[in-house]
Amino acid sequence: MTTEAKLPTKRYFEDVQVGDEIPRLVKAPVTHLQLVRYAGASGDFNPLHTDPKIGEMLGIGGIIAHGMLIMGFLGQLLSDYVGPTALRKFGVRFKSMTRLDDVITCSGTITEKYEADGEARIAGKVQAVDQNGDVKASGTFVAALPKRGGE
Amino acid sequence: MFDQSKIGQSFPPFTYQVERSKIHELNLAIGDENPLYHSKEAAQAAGYPDVPASPTTPTTFQFWGNTDFVKHLVAIGVNVMRIIHGEEEYEYLAPVYAGDVLTGVTTLVDGKSRQSKDGSSMDILTLETRYTNQSGQEVLKARQVLIVR
Repeated sequence: MTTEAKLPTKRYFEDVQVGDEIPRLVKAPVTHLQLVRYAGASGDFNPLHTDPKIGEMLGIGGIIAHGMLIMGFLGQLLSDYVGPTALRKFGVRFKSMTRLDDVITCSGTITEKYEADGEARIAGKVQAVDQNGDVKASGTFVAALPKRGGE
Repeated sequence: MFDQSKIGQSFPPFTYQVERSKIHELNLAIGDENPLYHSKEAAQAAGYPDVPASPTTPTTFQFWGNTDFVKHLVAIGVNVMRIIHGEEEYEYLAPVYAGDVLTGVTTLVDGKSRQSKDGSSMDILTLETRYTNQSGQEVLKARQVLIVR
């Protein structure tokens, strides 16, 4: 695939301080087509994410996004920040349902810096909110970063 | 009430070959345009052996690798139409790249019934899947909480 997207710049342990905010990620509005694509890509074909009739039947008022899509947005926030193989732990709790046209904004804060298992690590918290400020998912992560002049 | 005797039960192991095209497809759906997830050349130019798994790629290991997952849930008495995904957590023990062949074993590690606010009962299940790669190295622990209303 050819793409104009740029690789995120490499981040070192020394560049990150407790209290730093991770650059926000604002996603395009969630669409029905996106949920169909996500179902096919992930393999989660639960019809409440793709079939409006099922959503009505279950009394949730139409289809809702896969929780894992929202975690995927948060994963994008983190992999842009630390790179694709730096995460050591990443967990979220799903707080409320995401619906079509919701605009999800992902944000995060660094809460800790420490050394463990011979690695320099950072820990932080992340959350995904919609256009009304309703929290869709919140969680925590741990990542290992290289030290300047090391390795 | 959830049948507590099922706690500790593991489902049969499954294998999954991590596919470059699947990582590409998942990240297209998410809208993550990081070239590392879409091009082997970009990944190799950045020093990786192949396209790396993105943070939530493990969801494809579960659904595409363990296509009997829903069947196994039904077998332990779960009404799969009433499942809500409560939590998901990954512990990344070693990097996973396209081409890796993973073996996963899913275990029901906890299950309990709770009264919800409106007085109805719900079951809360915790499942853990441990993945090893083709070299026998443990690469990932995935833990999920499912709420069955």
